[in-house]
Parts: sequence; structure tokens; C-alpha cells
Amino acid sequence: MKLAASRKKNNMMGLTPLIDMIFLLLLFFLLGSDFVSYGQNRLAPPRGAGGNDSAPQPAIVSLAANGDLQWNGAPIDRPSLAQRTAEAARISEEQVFVLMPNGKANVQQVIHIMDVLIGAGAQSVTLERDIFDIDLADF
Amino acid sequence: MQLKSSRREIKSIDLLPLINVVFLLILFVLIAGRPTTNHPGGMEVADTTIESEYKGGPFSVHLREDNLFYLADGQQVTLGELAERVTSLGLVDQGLAIELLADRRAHAKPLLEFRRAMAKAGIGEIRMKTRIATEGVVIE
Repeated sequence: MKLAASRKKNNMMGLTPLIDMIFLLLLFFLLGSDFVSYGQNRLAPPRGAGGNDSAPQPAIVSLAANGDLQWNGAPIDRPSLAQRTAEAARISEEQVFVLMPNGKANVQQVIHIMDVLIGAGAQSVTLERDIFDIDLADF
Repeated sequence: MQLKSSRREIKSIDLLPLINVVFLLILFVLIAGRPTTNHPGGMEVADTTIESEYKGGPFSVHLREDNLFYLADGQQVTLGELAERVTSLGLVDQGLAIELLADRRAHAKPLLEFRRAMAKAGIGEIRMKTRIATEGVVIE
């Protein structure tokens, strides 16, 4: 009498669910990921002991809506601004730079000038609306 | 006479290369990408050339292209309401920073007013979210 073969039929494992899951994972990570690098610019309001005589006068950088710059009231271009900032920062690490953008300048212009100042070595950069808003007791 | 069948035998497609490639794609996305931050759609933050670590903040305010302020949930707020909110949330007492997501096309005027209002409310630090530019900064 011939006995039935006890070996099971070797079925191939179904790969479709695995592929489905992998594609779902891929979609999840593609949609849930961000490939842009973000950073942060610190915007610190002027704070200090108040009325410190030894602290240097703040350097005032004005930014016009058309991108023109002024250093303490005198027109200046970007390379010279970086140079003057580096010199001032070298003389005193406590030097405060006050950026006064025109109200119609855009945020990108403001950030760009802040980049120039920080890139040249400025440690403390703040924004002010008007020269009359600057309280020297804060520095 | 029986003719030979011209039909080719259908072989199953080998799926292993496909699975390998998809796994490699997943690995690439996992390594090159990072989980989405709280960056809202339609807002372009300013480009920067200064490399800095993005830390976020406990409280986010959005300054959109229309020069108005919004909370993270999309609710429009005035500067007075923002000042009240940061005080009531205890951000001032704890000395915490505020995160500002400002659209690069927004004007500087609301930005200056925001800084002044937050300084008056007692906020010590504002962190402005920027995008680290890899191909130079475009100024419009």
C-alpha cells in the first residue's frame, strides 16, 4: 500500500502585504519629513545693569526700505558695514548694535543685515523702531 | 499533429530588487529628512547665512505676509492680546523665550512693534525662525 506523502506543499510566501506595508512606510516618512534646514536668529531686547558708564554707546544701523544703510547717520555700504562692525566688536565685546529698519523694509532685509552684523562679530543685536525709543539706561 | 504552443510560460516577477530599492528609499528619507516641525504651510521664513541650531520655543507666534499676527492654531491676535497671553501663560515669570515665525515678505514695522510689545510685557528673548540658505540669500 502506498502511503500519501506527508510533505506539505511548498507554497511561496505572499509578498504583497509586505510590499504594501513598505510603500505605506515610505509614504509616511516622505510626507512626514522635512528636508529644509531651519535655524534661529536671537532677537534680544536691550537689557543691562542700566547706566553703566563704561559701556560703549550703541552703534545705530539704519536700513531704508530700498536697502540703503546708514552707520550712526552716515551712509555706508554692506562691505564697509561689516568692516566697521568687526572693528567695533573687536574694541568692545559689549558693543550693542541697534538695527533701525524702515517700517516698509521687509523681514528678509532685516535678517540679512542682522546676518552681516553677526557674521562680522556682533554679539548683541537688537531692533528699535526709532532713535527716540532707545533708552540708553538699558545699555 | 499537435502544434507546439506558442504561448510563453508566464514566470513570476522577481520582487526582491523592488523591495531592496524601496528599503533603500526608506533609509534615505529616514537619514536625510527630519520629522516635520511646526512650520505652517504657505509661510516662507527669511533665509539666513548664519548656521544656528533650531530649538523652537514653548510659544509660537506667526507674522504672516498680511502683516498680521496669528497663533499657531491660526487665530488672529493683536499685540495687546499677545502680551496678555504670554503673561497669563507664565512665560514672563519663567523667563522663557518666544518663537516668532515671520514671513520674509512681511514688513519690518509689525516686527518692530512686536519686539517692543514683548519687551514691555517682560519677554527676555525672541527667537526668529529662519531657513538656512545653502545657495545664497535672495533679497527682494
